[in-house]
Amino acid sequence: MPSIKINGRDIEVEEGLTVLQACEEAGVEIPRFCYHERLSIAGNCRMCLVEMEPSPKPIASCAMPINDGMVIHTDTDLVKKAREGVMEFLLINHPLDCPICDQGGECDLQDQAMGYGLDKSRFLESKRAVKNKYLGPLVSTIMTRCIHCTRCIRFAQEIAGVPELGATGRGENMEVGTYVEKALSSELSGNLVDLCPVGALTSKPYEFKARSWELVKTQSIDVFDAMGSNIRIDSRGSEVMRVLPRINNSINEEWISDKTRHACDGLGRQRLDRPYVRRNGKLEEESWDGVLSVIAEKMINTSPKRMAAIAGDLVDCESLVSLKDLMQTLGCNNLDCRQDSGAFGNPRSSYIFNSGIKGIDRADVILLIGCNPRWEAPVLNARIRKQYLNGAIIGVIGPEFDLTFPFEHLSPDLKEIKNMLEHPSEFSDKLAKARRPMLVLGSGALAREDGEAILGAARDLAERVNIVNSEWNGFNVLQRAASRVGGLDLGFVPKTNKDLGTREILRAAEKKEIDVIYLLGSDEIEMDRLGDAFVIYQGHHGDAGAHRADAILPGAAYTEKNGTYVNLEGRCQRALRAVFPPGEAKEDWAIIRALSERIGKKLPFDNLLQVRERMSEVNPIFSNVNKISEASWGEFGSRGEIKDSEFIQPIENFYMTDVISRASATMAECTEVALAKKEKAA
Amino acid sequence: MSIRNWIYTFLNGKKIGVDEFGNRYYTGKGRKLNGRERRWVIYNGKNDASSVPAEWHAWLHYTVDEPLTQIAANSYSWQEPHEVNYTGTGDAYRPKGHDYKGGRRGSATGDYEAWKPD
Ligand code: SF4
Ligand code: FES
Repeated sequence: MPSIKINGRDIEVEEGLTVLQACEEAGVEIPRFCYHERLSIAGNCRMCLVEMEPSPKPIASCAMPINDGMVIHTDTDLVKKAREGVMEFLLINHPLDCPICDQGGECDLQDQAMGYGLDKSRFLESKRAVKNKYLGPLVSTIMTRCIHCTRCIRFAQEIAGVPELGATGRGENMEVGTYVEKALSSELSGNLVDLCPVGALTSKPYEFKARSWELVKTQSIDVFDAMGSNIRIDSRGSEVMRVLPRINNSINEEWISDKTRHACDGLGRQRLDRPYVRRNGKLEEESWDGVLSVIAEKMINTSPKRMAAIAGDLVDCESLVSLKDLMQTLGCNNLDCRQDSGAFGNPRSSYIFNSGIKGIDRADVILLIGCNPRWEAPVLNARIRKQYLNGAIIGVIGPEFDLTFPFEHLSPDLKEIKNMLEHPSEFSDKLAKARRPMLVLGSGALAREDGEAILGAARDLAERVNIVNSEWNGFNVLQRAASRVGGLDLGFVPKTNKDLGTREILRAAEKKEIDVIYLLGSDEIEMDRLGDAFVIYQGHHGDAGAHRADAILPGAAYTEKNGTYVNLEGRCQRALRAVFPPGEAKEDWAIIRALSERIGKKLPFDNLLQVRERMSEVNPIFSNVNKISEASWGEFGSRGEIKDSEFIQPIENFYMTDVISRASATMAECTEVALAKKEKAA
Repeated sequence: MSIRNWIYTFLNGKKIGVDEFGNRYYTGKGRKLNGRERRWVIYNGKNDASSVPAEWHAWLHYTVDEPLTQIAANSYSWQEPHEVNYTGTGDAYRPKGHDYKGGRRGSATGDYEAWKPD
């Protein structure tokens, strides 16, 4: 380990670091604009200048690799003067419009000008002005403020994989833009706003809405895909103003998808804020008291065999366990947390991302089966892309799709898994020879009628080509719904073969064999197949479920309750409440608890703590918060035939996949732009 | 118009024109003030300086030599007819929620849109 001297202190650092990173390790702050840990080094802002003996000139610390015996100074007059000089040059063309700039208060340039800049300006000439660029409905540009750090260009190229941003001109005439005017075609474009150290790129939906210091910040968990990205919810009063990523290296690093970030305006529209009951074919407003007694009466008078419950994709584990307990005490086991009836097996390893999201960073051959990670989990896709750049080989079975990186397209037909099992192909050789091969099975493939067979075949393939061994488990299922893994962990599924799952519930309801259906935030099932059953809808948005419902219980959205979610790798995480539910809406588990009392089967918990104790009782993984619990390997899936049918992607439109994003105006705009782009290309 | 003004205008004034509100504009015959000819307006009705339209305002304040014509006043599609200042009168602008306009404000921001069954 090389040892270097920083400001007179000797420290030992790892090989291959840059001077800036070494200083950071030594606890010495170096101002910077263009340097970013997750991007390549550009070295063009010169803010990070430090003095290195015996060099007569200061050096850019972000681009200088360390050498044994280096002597660095960061507190000399020379460094101070260099920083002041760079700051002065940067501010020459930067407008002084902080009072009207959205970045004001959280701006690197503001902070560093305060910390390292001069206290006055000597610049009397006129400043340059740059035309604003159009980058789509999410990113707004005020390009006069750009300081040409090129972070955005590097992000688009390296992380998002859409090399659409670039610079034209040189020196003072340099402009960052898309060359030909167009919207960015990335699902990660919102991250540009976080990256830009100044206010050149700001969030368009949030433009001029709030100032950073008047927002209440709540640490929470995202529910728009199954990754469980760590987010920060910024709210003002009762309104969620914006959503930002939190850094979590094992999950989302520091990125989030555009849906996670910008669908939050959907939280203010189409809200269910009071209970309703259907009378004579019309939904009428009702009090909590009234609606609970109507439902209780119905449930008491129905035989448990003729009841069923389906849970949706955004539901927290607290309400899942409450509803499961309620239904089971009534004697009903027709439960399902899988709206799409995706196949799963008994050992936990059959439905989670066993290698962990972090495991992608170690995989060398990756086989994607029937999934489109770019839409199902954009941040995860960026991670696969990163691994591709590090040399991993990627193969795809299933429809072809632009994943932002090249891959070997093995076959559009899922039958290829069976083929690979029977006759080793070129790619299965690669998998077998790899040190850490990985298989990613899409939830769309498992949701087919032959899902069991696909799961079984994938499992066999994993064993055959050494994807699973004593120290590495690369068998990964890519779930799409935030509530899915939690639901399966809690056993919110039919108990025995005789009990009904979603598919059978719908079938039975069509035949009028089901009289009461409890939909817990479930909107993505075919509502017209519910026959004339009495439908109870508990949820937060008026969507398909509420339209069909006979009784509506207004619940809380993910920003409005303290909830537990288990992400696709089986990590149990807690989301915190940022705002209160609107109107008369209540937290979901409490609604079910109140209903249970009406029915006369009072659930044995009165507060959140007790609900969580109950969860840990059902499955010990719920006491292991923020960590991944070991999942053992075992037998699952069936050896049946994989059908010939064409594979249909489960997501038609990335921007609208659930009740919140369907209610969001921003997402509607994104959809429009994406459609226009598709038409143009066709 | 006071008697004094009327006599002065009768003796010294040369009428230049009348605007759309009926205000009459005069210059002095001969005698100059500070090296410039005198220009003044006799209002039609109440003395209200805001009733002088832009084209006459320019002339009155020596911005232009000749008064601008009505054609100049209407030569662009985006030009609006001149309006007097209504402050303090019944026609004054009042924002939504003003007591004289019912006194009911729109709901505060941060509210949500509730779903309504149809
Ligand atoms: S727009 Fe922002 S991120 Fe991009 S180069 Fe300019 S200052 Fe840097
Ligand atoms: S941070 Fe080193 S040159 Fe920009």
